[in-house]
Amino acid sequence: MSDPVVSQSLGISNSFSALWIAARQTIYLLAFRRTLWWSLPGCAALFVLTFVAGLRAPDPVSGRSVYCVFAWWGLSTVVVPWVAAFLGVQSVHGELEDRTSQYLFLRPVFRAPLLLGKWLAVSLLAVLVTVAAVLALFAGIAQHLDRWPDGVEWELVTAFGWSMGLGALAYSAIAVLFGAMFRRPLAWSAFFIVGVQIVVANLPVSAGLRQLTVTDPLRRVVLDWIEPDGRLARIMWPSETVISVDDIGSPVINLAIITVVCLALACWKYSSAEYESRSRD
Amino acid sequence: MTTHSSPDGAASLALSFEHVTKWYGSVCALLDVSFRVDREVVGLVGRNGVGKSTLMKLAVGLLSPSQGEISIGRHVAGSREARAAVGFCPDFDRLYEPLSGVDFVAWMLRYHGFGARAARARAEEVLVDLGLEENMRRPIREYSKGMRQRVRLGQALAHRPRFVLLDEPMTGLDPLARADLSERIRALPSQGVGVLVSSHVLHELEAVVDRVVLVHQGRLLAEGRVGELRDKLPERPHRLRITGARLRELAADLSSWSEVRGVAFTEEGLEVSLSGEVSFYDRLTALAAERQGGIEELVPLDDDLAAVFGYFVE
Repeated sequence: MSDPVVSQSLGISNSFSALWIAARQTIYLLAFRRTLWWSLPGCAALFVLTFVAGLRAPDPVSGRSVYCVFAWWGLSTVVVPWVAAFLGVQSVHGELEDRTSQYLFLRPVFRAPLLLGKWLAVSLLAVLVTVAAVLALFAGIAQHLDRWPDGVEWELVTAFGWSMGLGALAYSAIAVLFGAMFRRPLAWSAFFIVGVQIVVANLPVSAGLRQLTVTDPLRRVVLDWIEPDGRLARIMWPSETVISVDDIGSPVINLAIITVVCLALACWKYSSAEYESRSRD
Repeated sequence: MTTHSSPDGAASLALSFEHVTKWYGSVCALLDVSFRVDREVVGLVGRNGVGKSTLMKLAVGLLSPSQGEISIGRHVAGSREARAAVGFCPDFDRLYEPLSGVDFVAWMLRYHGFGARAARARAEEVLVDLGLEENMRRPIREYSKGMRQRVRLGQALAHRPRFVLLDEPMTGLDPLARADLSERIRALPSQGVGVLVSSHVLHELEAVVDRVVLVHQGRLLAEGRVGELRDKLPERPHRLRITGARLRELAADLSSWSEVRGVAFTEEGLEVSLSGEVSFYDRLTALAAERQGGIEELVPLDDDLAAVFGYFVE
């Protein structure tokens, strides 16, 4: 078509700029959602949690142990997966359900960059909330200087911030996939986060199925960083007596594979589906 | 990608449906539908649920045909090139509620390659033109139905498409807004834009369209100008109004004819219900000649779109 308007549109609207525009728009729209703003009182609650735990824990328990236990079980099993799930599902499935996504599908851009833009936005916000939660938990226990005989270990913040940030990226990809694929993505997210992960992620090391979860590689990243003593390791990884990552490969690569595979599947589904007419469950 | 050719090259400007069939699972929504839209206003007429929205969504690439082909110029519907050339105003009242009207339209324009400033300027231009100057910076959630409809129309027109598809655009508008929208739609072909507009409120379409496409139960019943379609139905029952002198005598004569079902006097004249035989007009012509001026005017009362559609559906 030689129409200058059409040619200009297609020339400028390349996939990268579409991805970037979609990401910015998604952040803008999510900023109006209550889900994101609930994270503020949530972080305050996390601060109170570790502050109170620091007051009430038996004397021999170190600040390091209190922080690691709360950060691991609180963030990896509740905060990170659920924040990513809510944001991802709202940004993808919410638009499909209320059909505002049709306005995007009418534009002369591929759908995959639109979806990747949404994932990028969800990931950025999920990482921000995660880092805020990591800091809030640490700030609560860091008040009790008597529990840090060798000084406050700030490197724990880096360890959990890094590992939980990776987890946020992976969980966002899963949420985006469920949002593009299922009619009840939050139910599927709950099934995955609570059902599949609790069972599969606690299988013995030899079970390769664990590589299909986010919790398992995430735990191995954390343990690699913090090198816990035996007691703390048993609290964080009840099913393991020996901490070894050699048997099941690099956890970061596992997380990267989960993220990429989920995004690829989500892009395929988002690009090929007629959301008007088909059942998605 | 398919190329449609014609000696004058006009085919490249058309929105063309070629033997389009659409199945939803085991349900056939459209069956072997073919027609085309040039730079004109074409009305898509049919009751709710007969496949009008499906046809439009196929044309803009939101759905894919099970069989057949839809093209816009030389490009298959749904391709990026085709999407750049089409604007679609959907029938559902969903928008990005937290955004202002101008933000929403500007965002959509960004995907068409407009820079941030150009997109905003064009969005403002379109919404001002649509009468939203005072409200375009308020959040959409505060808009009335009519204002929301204008925003939906704005996003369909803002990128200067070659074809605009309007799905039930009059829904929710007050009479003044309907008249205004009708004028705007009528003006689009003169700006080089072809329009396919659907409605189940037939009298609204009638004032706007050049041609109509009648759809019923997924099939194309007929297409053409309303008068032409009515002419295809000479054998169908219809009504006439006759004005002139000595109408009582005329009524007495007509009531005995086999082609006449009934006669009735109204303020405007004599209304005659016909069973449809063409011979009525021959006989009436002969009668008029015999009476020398007794009949002044014959007005078909069933030439409107609703009547034509009703006949075809029957």
